Amino acid sequence: MSKKSESYTDNKRKQDVRASNMMAAKSVADAIRTSLGPRGMDKMVCAANGEVTITNDGATILNTMDVVSPAAKMLVELSKSQDINAGDGTTSVTVLCGAILNKCIQMIEKGVHPTVISDGMNKAALKAVEILKTLAKEVDLTDRESIIKSAATSLNSKVVAQYSNLLAPMAADLVLKVSDSTLMQVDGTASSMRVDLRDIKVLKKFGGTIDDTEIVDGLVFEQKASKAAGGPTKVANAKIALIQFCVSPPKPDLENNVVLSDYNAMDRLLKDERNYILGLVKKIKASGCNVLLIQKSILRDAVTDLSLHYLAKAKILVVRDVERDDIEFISKTLKCLPISHVDHMKSEKLGEADMVESLMVGAEKIVKVTGIKDAGKTATVMVRGSNKLVLEEAERSLHDALCVVRCLVQQPFLIPGGGAPEMEMSRLLLEYAKTLTGMDSYCVRAFAEALEVIPFTLAENAGLNPIAIVTQLRALHAKGGSSHGINVRKGTVTDILEEGVVQPLLVTSSAISLATECVRMILKIDDVVMTR
Amino acid sequence: MSASGVPGGAPGILNEQAIEEKGEHARMSSFVGAMAIADLVKTTLGPKGMDKILQSMGRGEAVTVTNDGATILKSIYVDNPAAKVLVDISKVQDAEVGDGTTSVVVLAGELLRQAENLINMKIHPMTIIAGFREAAECGRNAIEARAMNNSSDSARFREDLMNVARTTLSSKFLTQDKEHFANLAVDAVMRLGDAPSLESIHILKKPGGDLTKSFLDEGFILDKKIGVGQPKRIEDAKILVANTPMDTDKIKIYGARVRVDSMAKVSDIEKAEKDKMKDKVDKIIAHGCNVFINRQLIYNYPEELFADAGIMAIEHADFDGIERLASVTGGEICSTFDHPEDVKLGSCKLIEEIMIGEEKLIHFSGVELGAACTVVLRGASLHLLDEAERSLHDALCVLQQTVKDRRVIHGGGCPEMVMSKAIDELAQRTPGKRAIAMEAFSKALRAIPTIICDNAGLDSADLVYQLRFCHAVPGSAMGIDVLEGKVGDMQDCGIFESFRVKEQVLLSATEAAEMILRVDDVINNSARVQTMGTGIHDSSTCLGL
Repeated sequence: MSKKSESYTDNKRKQDVRASNMMAAKSVADAIRTSLGPRGMDKMVCAANGEVTITNDGATILNTMDVVSPAAKMLVELSKSQDINAGDGTTSVTVLCGAILNKCIQMIEKGVHPTVISDGMNKAALKAVEILKTLAKEVDLTDRESIIKSAATSLNSKVVAQYSNLLAPMAADLVLKVSDSTLMQVDGTASSMRVDLRDIKVLKKFGGTIDDTEIVDGLVFEQKASKAAGGPTKVANAKIALIQFCVSPPKPDLENNVVLSDYNAMDRLLKDERNYILGLVKKIKASGCNVLLIQKSILRDAVTDLSLHYLAKAKILVVRDVERDDIEFISKTLKCLPISHVDHMKSEKLGEADMVESLMVGAEKIVKVTGIKDAGKTATVMVRGSNKLVLEEAERSLHDALCVVRCLVQQPFLIPGGGAPEMEMSRLLLEYAKTLTGMDSYCVRAFAEALEVIPFTLAENAGLNPIAIVTQLRALHAKGGSSHGINVRKGTVTDILEEGVVQPLLVTSSAISLATECVRMILKIDDVVMTR
Repeated sequence: MSASGVPGGAPGILNEQAIEEKGEHARMSSFVGAMAIADLVKTTLGPKGMDKILQSMGRGEAVTVTNDGATILKSIYVDNPAAKVLVDISKVQDAEVGDGTTSVVVLAGELLRQAENLINMKIHPMTIIAGFREAAECGRNAIEARAMNNSSDSARFREDLMNVARTTLSSKFLTQDKEHFANLAVDAVMRLGDAPSLESIHILKKPGGDLTKSFLDEGFILDKKIGVGQPKRIEDAKILVANTPMDTDKIKIYGARVRVDSMAKVSDIEKAEKDKMKDKVDKIIAHGCNVFINRQLIYNYPEELFADAGIMAIEHADFDGIERLASVTGGEICSTFDHPEDVKLGSCKLIEEIMIGEEKLIHFSGVELGAACTVVLRGASLHLLDEAERSLHDALCVLQQTVKDRRVIHGGGCPEMVMSKAIDELAQRTPGKRAIAMEAFSKALRAIPTIICDNAGLDSADLVYQLRFCHAVPGSAMGIDVLEGKVGDMQDCGIFESFRVKEQVLLSATEAAEMILRVDDVINNSARVQTMGTGIHDSSTCLGL
């Protein structure tokens, strides 16, 4: 076997692997391309178990898609990372990645070494982010208008677009409410404000329309109040206890048998049980508590009919089956401490609220706590929708909007939307390419051209003539109209800032750097090895 | 009966399915296997080396993207005994020095390629081995003479370390941010002093952000949560690290049960259980700690008791977590609490909750063992983070080796050329057939810069012979400058490698090649029926030593 021929076949295989990887990734990107922008279309994904999801959210589509090719999987990962990083722009990042890969394929066909392309792309991406930063203008977090606008931009491309003027202010208020300046951040991203989206609880309830979605001033439990024994369903001046013990007959961990010798003993036993529970209830009542939240227990009944009866007599409203995961949220909201032993029932551990009541929402009952005294920095929003698909999509859209606002809190910079920043970056990168020589120049140029995919796709999805629009846009940008973008509603090119279409800097900058990172990773792969 | 078509199997001696390969055939199959393995990882070598996707065939079909030779070889399916020897030396290299896992396999592969030619020339394997041995010794001496030691000058030594780290990282995915990570790695290792143990460097991976957001934290970060209602920030913490069940102590005898005759007694038992828990908590509090970290769960009741006492309680810190925490804070892990005076509490200046990306973590700063630190890696995806961790681990290993053995040597194919030259000279002074083996050895060494060039898409034949020309001058530090695509001065380029790694590569590769060369008989025992098809291949055994 001569060495020469061997290395020749090797190269052939490597090219094949690389090409097939890139094609796989590109086809994933193409699949979700049509869902970009305000006029983007939705996808219906049918899961193997027959469950149907209708969504416009790139991350969700990719997550539910059953991809096998390793390179396609990397694209799915990519959109996930964008979801973690910025929460929005999950479609854009994938489309961008596909476009850059397309350019890379062309360059590889010309015989450019992949690592050279990889380096060039990195250079271009760094420059692009730099340019993007010069386009951004700082916003003040007290400027509610701008924040709402950016949330609206994100919502406009979703199924729930017609409700964007309702949901956008809601998203802004929610995030601003929970933003916390005390949490320390060790990222180097200097920002005093931190937002933990786990502090926002999103409840989904059937019935009504999205119009009925509201921010709840207080706390909502999906469980209904236990009123089997005729307990109260409405308590004013509530003192709320969050308990982690069970109001039921004792059950030690040790296995035990109660041995009865005669009929009298049975009577006595029943009496004992009643007394025991009565004792518990009395102790609870003694603390001044009139609303009881009981954590779910897997080992035994958290409450029994008997204890509910006594609690009802004591005029205590009971909410049972509170999940352990929710304890922290509840305790943070109500400023109450969880109580795990009946002897610890003390009034200082209770939370206070003006009103706790059981309400009908649609066909279901919920328990609503309002007027919480000294409430913690949490928020609850109740999303309503007429069917499950809409409801779920509304929740996802709201999540994206929340993320957008969170991005702004973390990095208070806004850039225009509607393809304007991509066009401007593309223009400036082309100029920058002219100052370079060699492969770098070539790569920067290719990168600049790839960026145009965003306005191109926006126009295409809106049913406009993409070539006419993109060239018009290019011409306007060349004349210095850096904020001109595609006005999808009017179907023309206008100054996008006047339309109020803005988005956070973080979404686009992270999309660019993540897409490039992913492209570079795919470029460097030359072999797929099967392993155990 | 020997299996069909296999020459030399003695009838009736071996099991029916066992296959014996002898002489030429055995050697040939070893060579082919070893070279196939070497060719597989060859393309990952050097700064322009490529990555591989490892597609798992098992459950989940997980995908790994890597450039690390050891990782690739560890996970591939190998059936050839000689190939397994190479996989093993790569593992040993990983365990011994942490880096050079690809180089060692590639060099061994090249040595075997040369040996194959020699065997075709009817040179006895033992002669080849003798030649290889002398050549390896001579090569080692040659690079030892060229090794530099700057340990007396701390500033220059740090620069050396930086260069070594940069060189290692430049062949990995982190190459773009190598400056950042080289700094990070050197800082981490320098903190550990003269006898670094990588145990106290904790690497934490958190998706989100990008690689440049990765940072070195001078303290310890625990990926856990603080209990509800407990202080989120404690200064001058006294830490009790424990591994103890916090639920009621159960009687371990199976089927143990109590008989009672009234409800009151049942509730007494329950009360007794609660009291036991409370007793335990009281005992723990009696230690005077204000932070309690347990490996096992802390249940609701003890959690509340701790909260009442104003103690921060962290549950379910995994085993690695508490071992490291105990060593870092200088405490002991205890599981009984009867003698507070005997227990050493850990301490640290400040414990607080921090947020990285989306997640809340617990940060310990100002810890007893000042050397400990945590590297937090951020990156786009888990693939990337895994690869970043592997790369950083390699860099840390190399730095650790360099701190132990402070000699460094030029990289970029320079040591190979130095060795090759020295061996060529030795060959000229050696009479007889061994000289041919030596020349072959020197040729194999030159294959390393050739592969680095090939991977970068450069004209390898031209560059390597230019390099050889440069090295005709004694003491030349010329090597392949891959980024510029020409021959360059490695001193100026700042391309350095740890001497220890290079030495280990040379010796291990020679040893492995020698081992495979000695084989003249391969007996494949019949596969056990139950392991058929599951990919377990421990049934083939390499004989012949």
